[in-house]
Parts: sequence; C-alpha cells; structure tokens
Amino acid sequence: MNDDQRFDRGPQGPQGPQIPEIKLPQFDAGKLRFIVGAVLVLILAFTSFYTIDPEETGLVLRFGKYVRSAEPGLHFKMPFGVERVLKVPIQRQLKEEFGFRTVKAGVKSQYSVKPYQDESNMLTGDLNAAMVEWVVQYRIADPYKYLFQVRNVEKTFRDMSEAVMRKVVGDHIFNEVLTVGRAQVALQVTTELQELCDQYETGIKVDQVVLQDVNAPDPVKPSFNAVNEAQQEKSKLINQAQSEYNREIPKAKGEAEQTIQEAEGYALDRVNRSQGDAALFTAIYEAYRKAPAVTRNRMYLETMTQVLPQVQSKIIVDDDLKGVLPLLNLNESKSKGGE
Amino acid sequence: MNKLLIPLIIVVVLVLFNSMYVVQEPHQVIITQFGKPVGDPVMTPGLNFKTPFIQKVHRFEKRFLEWDGDPNQLPTKDKRLIWVNNYARWRITDPLLYFQRLQNERGAQTRLDDILDGETRNAIAKYDLVEVVRITNREPMETEVAAEDEVILEEIYHGRDKIRLEILANSQKRTADLGIEILDVEFKRINYVADVQRKVYERMISERQRIADRFKSEGQGEAFRIRGEKDRELLRIRSEAYRKAQEIKGNADAEATNIYAAAYDRSAETRSFYEFLKTMEAYKATLDKESSLVLSTDSDFYRFLKSGDSQ
Repeated sequence: MNDDQRFDRGPQGPQGPQIPEIKLPQFDAGKLRFIVGAVLVLILAFTSFYTIDPEETGLVLRFGKYVRSAEPGLHFKMPFGVERVLKVPIQRQLKEEFGFRTVKAGVKSQYSVKPYQDESNMLTGDLNAAMVEWVVQYRIADPYKYLFQVRNVEKTFRDMSEAVMRKVVGDHIFNEVLTVGRAQVALQVTTELQELCDQYETGIKVDQVVLQDVNAPDPVKPSFNAVNEAQQEKSKLINQAQSEYNREIPKAKGEAEQTIQEAEGYALDRVNRSQGDAALFTAIYEAYRKAPAVTRNRMYLETMTQVLPQVQSKIIVDDDLKGVLPLLNLNESKSKGGE
Repeated sequence: MNKLLIPLIIVVVLVLFNSMYVVQEPHQVIITQFGKPVGDPVMTPGLNFKTPFIQKVHRFEKRFLEWDGDPNQLPTKDKRLIWVNNYARWRITDPLLYFQRLQNERGAQTRLDDILDGETRNAIAKYDLVEVVRITNREPMETEVAAEDEVILEEIYHGRDKIRLEILANSQKRTADLGIEILDVEFKRINYVADVQRKVYERMISERQRIADRFKSEGQGEAFRIRGEKDRELLRIRSEAYRKAQEIKGNADAEATNIYAAAYDRSAETRSFYEFLKTMEAYKATLDKESSLVLSTDSDFYRFLKSGDSQ
C-alpha cells in the first residue's frame, strides 16, 4: 500500500513544489505559532509527570546521571527528556527456574522439562550424574546497583546460580543430593549465591533457593525403582517371617503352659491318691490290730469266697494221694475253661 | 535581516548540540580529536561539553560485562573427556588502552575467548576429573541407601575452587595490558561427553542393582534369622515345659512314695499286713473264670476239707 502510494506520487513529485505551499507560513504565521505552541505545551505536559506503582521504585536520570529515586505515587520531572525515569519492581519477589519452566501457572500448573535438561544435568562428588531442578527466589534490594553495576544482570544471575548449584552439588555425593542432603544443598547454595551477588554488586537479595525434583537421569531411573522395590521386598520378607513368629510362639507358649498344668494335675492326683491309700491302710490296720488272727482269716476267707466261684476249673489235690497228676487232663480242663 | 536570522539560529543550534554530549550512568567516555585521545576518560555521568565537530565521543561500558564461553570438549589429566562451559565477568578498567588494543567489544570478546579457553584447557588438563568436580574432602552424610556400601571417595588435593582461581590468575596476567580486568571465572557446566555419559549410566545402573540385590538378600537373610529364632524359641518353650512337667511329676511320685512308705513301713506288723492285703487284692484282680486252679488240701482254704480240725 505504502509503496503503491509512493509510486502514485512519483509523477506528481516535480509538480509538488510548484503548488504555492511555501506561502503558507507567510500568510498565516499566527496560526502556525499557535499550533507549534500547543504541541510544545502538550509534550511538556506529557513528559513532566509520571507515576510509580506500589511495588516499584523509580530512578530519575538527568542527562543520563542518576539524581534521585521516587517512591510510589505521582511525580513531576523535567520535561523534554532532560529527566528520564527507570522503574524497578523492588517489592516484587522474582524467581528464576532452572531445569524446567512453568508453562502455565495456576492451581494445576504445567511444566516443561525436556528442553532444559542441559541446565539440570550435573555431576555429583562421586562422579555420578544427577538431574537437579531448582528455583531461585530473589528481590532487587538495590535498584541502582541492579541497573548500573552489571550489564545483562538477569543472565549473569542465572549463570551464577548454575555455577553455584553445580559447585555445591559437586561437593555432595549422589545419594546425599537425592535424599538427606537436599536441605543442606539448598541452604549452601543460598548462602554462596548471595556472597557472589554481593561480590558482583548485582543489588540482588537472594530470598530462597528451593530444590524441586532431584532425580537420576532418565536411563538410570528404572534401576532406582528397582532399588525401591527391593526395599519393599525386604520389608515384606521380614514382615512375613515376623508374622510367622508371632503366629507360632504364643501358641507354643500356651501349649507349654498346658503341659505344665497337666503335670501339676498329675502331681496333685498322685499325692492325694497316695494320701488316701495311706489313710485307708492305716484305718484298716488300726482295726486289724485289735484282733489280728481273726481278721486275717476273715479277710482271707472273704477273698476266697469272692474269687473261687469265678474260677471254673478247680482241681483240688490231696497231698497224701500220690499219682493223681497223670490223670489230670489239663488240656481238657483248659478247653472247657475256654468255652 | 530576517532571512539571515533563521540560518544563523540553525547554525548556533547545531554548534551547541555538537558541543554537548550525555554520559549515561553505565558508561564512560573518551574524547578523541582527529583520532588522537584528548584528556582523561570521562567517568561521571551527566551533561558534558566538548569542542564541536573536531572532537569525537567514544562510549564504553563501565559495568561488569559478561563473557559466556562455548562448551568445549576437554580431556582431564586422567584422560576423561568432559564438556566444560564456563563464564567470566570482566570490565573495562582503562578505556583508552582498551580502545587502542581492542577497538570495541567484539574485539574484546574474541580476545577473551582465546585467553580463557586456553587457560581453561591448560588447567583442566593438569588435574583429574574429581579435582574439577569437588571442592572439599568433606565426609558425606549417612544416607539410608548407602549405609552399608560406603562410597569410597578419592581424596582431592586441589579442588574446583583452586582450579578456578588458577584460571583466573593466569587469565588476569594476560589481560593486564588490554585495559580490561577479569573479575571472576566460574565453571558453569561440566558434563560428560555422550560416550562417557553412557558408561557412567551403565555404572550407575549396576550400582543400583547391587544395592537392590543387597536389599533383597538382606530381607531374605533377616527372614531366615527370624525363622531360626522362632524354631529355637519353639524348641526352648517345648523342652522347658517338658522338663518342668517331668520335675513336677517326679516330685509328686517321690512324695507319694514317701507317704506310702510312711504308712506301710511303720513296723514288721504293718509290713506283713500290707503284704497280706495286697495279696488278697491281687487274688481278686488276677483270678477269673479263665484261670485254672490246682489247690492242695494243705492250703489254708481247703485244709478243713479233710478234717474239721486240722490244727
């Protein structure tokens, strides 16, 4: 479009100056002065004030030289670019992400990791590789230094963070970085990063370094899961054995108790019976002693009376008769007895 | 008169504007006159004046500037190839010298590339990899996993920080006559080259396998131990119960024997009476219809069979 217009005007070009436009200032000088004046007033108006938001501070530069800073609110400055204002959000907490980027923040934030593995891949003290993702939260404590001491301060700050994190991780072994050493690593990075920031005069105050995911590199991950599984397996085996123990030992203790109680019972039985028997014997004996011969005979005869009727084959032999034995048919009497 | 005034104003304005220059806060300026430097470098920011037209303003950064090296593949002393990517901060300390030697920042960056890459290469080649990675010989903390397979760390004698400072010192010497000062060199990234990386991964995997195997066998061992303990306990409990039971029974038997003896063994008379009683009981118990009995008329029972008065 623009080109077309230019081409259109091309042929009219030579005719342009011939139109008496140059007469314009001459024949309406007053109006021109007014227009120029109005434009100047407008520029004056728009370049002589500025506002600073609540989280910001303003640095006013006069001909490039820092002259004063401005608190939040409406302020005036010298117009026409004599004074310029740079605004720095000193109250805002800023953060830099390493090894990942928040693609969409929110309740369920989305992260992108893949393209940033160069940032997170680092060596540990035992020469293993670890993937460390972290966040540095910081504030601009000194806006003058932040703007005028270091060029490209954000890039510098990122480089510093990476260097410090790698240095600290390099001084810890892999297992520490993954587990118990996390807090210590974060703390040490915070301290050393702050020292470096002060050394470079970045004007940055490091609030916190937060370790996010710390992992083994992807190809190694499955073997890490295997370790976890083995740990579970270990607990499982121990628990199983323990439960077997718990199932059998109390039962065996009960059984043992039973055996002992039975023995106690046997003991009581035995003693009581013997005492009973002894008492019985003593009682009978006491009676017997009063008439030993008669009682003895009575008891003998009573027993015989009781016993003999039951015995079916009885052979009574007179000692004076000799030769009766050959007549005794033992077999017959035995078989008779058997019936 | 009016016709002369307008060009005059234009000329005055031009001269005025050409004799003023602004030094921004982050900048420093040197003035040259026909290419020859004039006066000291201007360090203070603000509005300044110079001779118009014949003097030229050259602006240079006053701030700390960045140098970000390209990742280089470097061999360490123990012949391992690693990628080293470091960065440095530098600033222009003598703008005049800087202007003469390096002309502009591109010149400076190129020179810094040469110096820093070279010094880095020298330093890396002088040390083993561990020296570049670690700073101290600190004892690692106890971790759950590594409790038993102690990681044996090679001792370091120099460490990352010392190597870094060595690179810095050597580079600083070489930049002294360039009007610039290197403030700091840091290793930003140190990584294995792909081939080595793969081997490291393999080693890590086998290490994990070792740990996993250890856990498994620990679990099995512990389970066996518990089972053994259980078996021992079972045997102990059962045998103790048996022993106790036997003791109790034995004691009872002994007591019963004592009681019997006390009752039966009082005198010759009790002994014979006991014998008689037991014999009678035994007759009752042992003689039944299956028994055959051969009795003599001499016996006590049948002695009256032959005569009413055998005595």
